[in-house]
Parts: sequence; C-alpha cells; structure tokens
Amino acid sequence: MMSIEVTIENILYFGAISLSLIGLFGMMMLQNVFRILLSLVLLEAGANLLLVLSGVRIGGVAPIITEGMSAGVVMNDPVPQALVLTAIVIGVGIQALALALIFRVKRNYGTLDLRKIREKLEKDIAVSNEVSAPGSYQAPEKLTESTGANQ
Amino acid sequence: MNKMILLIALPLLAAFLIPVVAKFSATVSRLLGPVVLAFVLVFVALQWNVVGRDSFAIFLGGFLPPVGIVFYVDHFSLMFSAIIAAMLLVVWPWGQYTAIRQQSLYMLLAASSFGLVLSSDLFNLYVFYELLAVATYGLVANQPHKAAPAAALRYLFVSCAGSVMLLIGIGIIYTITGTLNIAHLATMIGKLHGLAGLSAFILIVVGAGVKAEMFPVNSWVPEVYGTSSKSLSALLAGLISKLAVVLILRVLLMLFQVDVVLDLLLVVGILGVLSGEMVAWRAKDVTRMLSFSSIAQLGLVFVALSLSGTIGLWLAVGLMLHHLLVKGGLFLLADSMPGSFNSLKGLARRSPILGAIFLIFIFSLLGIPPFPGFWIKLMLVINLAQQDDVLYQIAIGVVLFATVIEASYLFKLVRIMYQKNDENIIKPPQTSTSGMNLLYAKFFALIVVVSMPFVSPISDRLKDMSRQSVNAENYIETIMSQPKLGGQS
Repeated sequence: MMSIEVTIENILYFGAISLSLIGLFGMMMLQNVFRILLSLVLLEAGANLLLVLSGVRIGGVAPIITEGMSAGVVMNDPVPQALVLTAIVIGVGIQALALALIFRVKRNYGTLDLRKIREKLEKDIAVSNEVSAPGSYQAPEKLTESTGANQ
Repeated sequence: MNKMILLIALPLLAAFLIPVVAKFSATVSRLLGPVVLAFVLVFVALQWNVVGRDSFAIFLGGFLPPVGIVFYVDHFSLMFSAIIAAMLLVVWPWGQYTAIRQQSLYMLLAASSFGLVLSSDLFNLYVFYELLAVATYGLVANQPHKAAPAAALRYLFVSCAGSVMLLIGIGIIYTITGTLNIAHLATMIGKLHGLAGLSAFILIVVGAGVKAEMFPVNSWVPEVYGTSSKSLSALLAGLISKLAVVLILRVLLMLFQVDVVLDLLLVVGILGVLSGEMVAWRAKDVTRMLSFSSIAQLGLVFVALSLSGTIGLWLAVGLMLHHLLVKGGLFLLADSMPGSFNSLKGLARRSPILGAIFLIFIFSLLGIPPFPGFWIKLMLVINLAQQDDVLYQIAIGVVLFATVIEASYLFKLVRIMYQKNDENIIKPPQTSTSGMNLLYAKFFALIVVVSMPFVSPISDRLKDMSRQSVNAENYIETIMSQPKLGGQS
C-alpha cells in the first residue's frame, strides 16, 4: 500500500526534500562560513521548491483566464507562486547581508573557519567583560584557572 | 477602525525617511522615530475602549478572507503593540554610534513587530517575522564591539535556518489545507491533526523558537548579548523573544491544542529551564549570567504554554510581561555593572540605590512573596499540580529546583556586591548610556514595586484578555463573517 509511484510530482517532491536536507546537513556539518552560506542557499531553494510544488497541478496551465478558454481547464494554484516570489526576495536580501558580514568577519579575524571564529569571538567577549574565557567542551577548566579574573 | 494599518505604515515610512531627512535636518530625523512611536502609544490607548469586549478584523484592500490579508485586533494585540512602542522608546538610541542607521533599523523593527502581533495570516506572519529578523541582524552587526559581525553572522545562520523551517511548515500546512488564513484553518482543524500537520507545527515552533531562545536552538544568545550594547540586549531579551512566542501562540491556540504538541512544548520548556539555569550558575560576568537566565525564563514560558487553553495563555502572558519588565530592567541596570563579578565588589555599598534596584529585580525574578514574580510562579506551580500527567509533576520539580539554582547564583552576586571593599578599586568606566539606562532601570523597578498591591486586578484583566484571545469561535466569526465588509478597506 505504501509503495510510492514514480510520477513526475513525486520525483520533484523527492528532489525538493533532498535539497533541503543537503542544505541543512551542510549548515550543521561544514566549518567554512562561506560554504555554510551556500548550504543555506540550498536549504532555501529546497524550501521554495517545496512551496511551489504545493500549488502545482500536473498538466495545469498558468492561472490566467484568456479568451476562448473552456471551463474545465486545470490551472496551477497562483498563491504559492506569489509566496515563493516573496520568499526568494527575502532570501536573496539576507544572503547579501550574510556575505557582507562574512567580509567584515574576515577583515576582523582573518579566517573563515567557524571554529576559529567562535574561539576568537568567545575570547573577545570575555575580554570585554574582563573575565577569563568560558571553558569549552574540549578544554573545560584549562582556560578558566590559568588566567583568573582581572582585577 | 481601519486606521490600525497606520501602526505598520507609519514606522515603515519613517524607517526609510530617516536617512533621507537626516541629509537635510538632523533634528527632524532624530525626532521622527520617537514621534511616530509616541503617536502609536496614544493611538493604541484610544483604540483600547473601541475594541471593548468585541475584537474586530481589518481586511486589507477590501479583499475578503480567505483570499485577502487580515489583521485581527483584540486587547491582546493592542497590549503588545503598546508594549513594543514603549520598549522601543526606552531603548531609543538618542545620540549613539551610527545613530541614523540604528534609528532606521529600530523603526523597521517597530513596523514588523506591530505586523507580527496584528497579522492573522500565516504567510504574513512569516514575512513580518523575517523582516524583524533582518532588522535585528542589522542592529547586532552595527554594534561597535569588535566581535559584533561574527556574532551577527552566527545569529544570522541559526535564525535563517529557523526561518526556512518556518517556511516549510507553512508550506506543508498550505499543501494539506489550501489556505493560509488562520481563522479559515481553524474551521478545518481536523485535517491539521494528522502526522503531516503536527510535523508542520513542530517545524513552526523550531523556526520561531530560534528567536524565542528555545532550548536546542539558542546558541546565539550569549554571543549576541555579549557583543551588543545593554539596551539592545534588553530589547532582544525583553521584547523580541516575546514576539516570537506570540507567533507560536497564535498558531498553537487556534490550531494545535493537541496533547502531543503540549507535551512537546513541556519537554522543550523543561530542558530550556534546566540548561539555562545551569549555565547561568557558572557565569562569571553579569551579561552572560543574564543571557542564560533569560533562556531559562523563556523555558518557563514554554512550560506555561503546555497548559491548554485560557490558563496556559494567561500564565504565559503573565510570565512574559514579568520577564520583560524584570529582565529588561536588569539588562539596563547591567550597563552600570560592567566587568567580572570580582570587579563588582562593594558596588552596592558605593551606590546603595543601584543595589536596592538590583535586589528588587532579583527578588521578583526569584519569586519572593510580596513581589509580582511570586504570584506568577505560585499560579504556575498550582496549575501544573492540577494536571494528571506525570510529566507535569516532573515540571513542578524542575521549576522549583531551577529556582534554587537561580537563588544560588543571584545571591552569590548580591553577596559580592555588598562585600566590604578593602582594596582600592578604580570605579569601572561608565559608558555614555549608563546614566540614562540607570534611570530607566529605576523606572522599571518602580513599576515592579507599584504593581505589588495590584497583582490581583492585573491578573484578572489578563485572564479576561486571555479568554477573549483563546475563544476560537469568536476569532473565526470575527474574521470569516462577511457582512461588515462594506466600506471597510
């Protein structure tokens, strides 16, 4: 009963979900911030495709009523298309913003490696609060004891 | 009534006008934002009585639901609008670094926040949520701290992934039902309670949970609050996190009052409370402590949400308002308490007023009897105790245990502040904003103290409001009934 037919629709759904998963996986696993951004792009593309698919009727036409159209014509749902348009615009804006931020991070820290960025970030925050850096999972107490609090 | 749209249009207009006007007259551009916010406050006050017992809906452009975009106005959304305007006025960057850009972003934040509390359409909620997110990225990245861009970037990644989850959730709901209007969805609630509908809701909670500092997706919190100015932290922890909860609330109350969902919220809440308090206990400076304590408090809100219906909303709103006041006040106060705990030695002896305000806030945060925080925690525990499920019994234990941890680290700080200071420590450098923020913190503390005798009437009003908001039939009828539509656009 649960056998999934190979239709064009199912293939598209499979593609959309796979794209999202690849993107999500990349965002969690990669360390280079630029690659993480690209994964985000993939994730958004997958989500948008999924959204468009929700309005697709296979064999449907564009939802514009023209002259000489018969009443029974199948039309695609225009709402998801409008939504995706909005989502794409928002997505592009945010990606541009993220690129600008990556630029500034590179200038400040000279690296794109997320682990190094986090390390420096934590250190900078700790310095501005005049405390020793909070211990990481890898080295729980090493940092905290050696530096001590600034008086 | 349709003037409600001004709440969104005016701040949005101001947001884009401020940089232009600033080229001609700095004074005008500086006043533009506060004037708009003050106007909103007055406007909301005037609308309060108009709304009365009956909430109303606005149909943008005159398109009827389920096709058109709908705003839903009740006391709940009006109250949040007023709070947004007031809070933004408090943290308004009068003469700060890159003031023009910040003011513009604050107005963008205002517009999207008003939209978020008013909107009654899932996709609209998403758009406003995203707009809110963009404004906060800008604000965080714009801080003068060296680490600010890195913190903003990490925040952006987590938050964006969350937004996409939200979008996928909305997409799934649309696929199942073919509508995005929440009231219209509420009429076909049966369709949503399948596996697909529930997974859509989980995606929405995870997506919005990023900004609500929800348990697994809150790694950005200490970094962002650590690099931001204290007034921005007060805004993010006090207000923005609450707005994300409002988004979840709208969907939860109208569409997903199901046991599975409530249990899930309870578990997420419990984990949030525990993890937040434990890390806060280890913190060595005030900002970090407050950040994690705020994660724990938001966890409490999720615990409250897991109680269904009116009680849940009532407790959640109570907790949110209390947290907004206390944590907002504490962050503003923290502007005068920079540095590690050790450098704060004897601070309360040098400035007794600061010490007193701090005590007021933390007494209320902990829930020590005469303060409002006590009543909310008491009602939460009583209502949790009335549930049969064993999970709720665990939640009681966790809430009480968390209070003990909280007391331990807060009183540790109090002890340091009231210690005799033998060494001659130079007074920590005051930032340019600390004087103003101390004043606001005093004001917040005053509200906490003054509200003490009025806890009972306030909670009655909140209960009325919650009853109005939870009433799904009223909600559906207000939005879906057609006759009022005539000339309402």
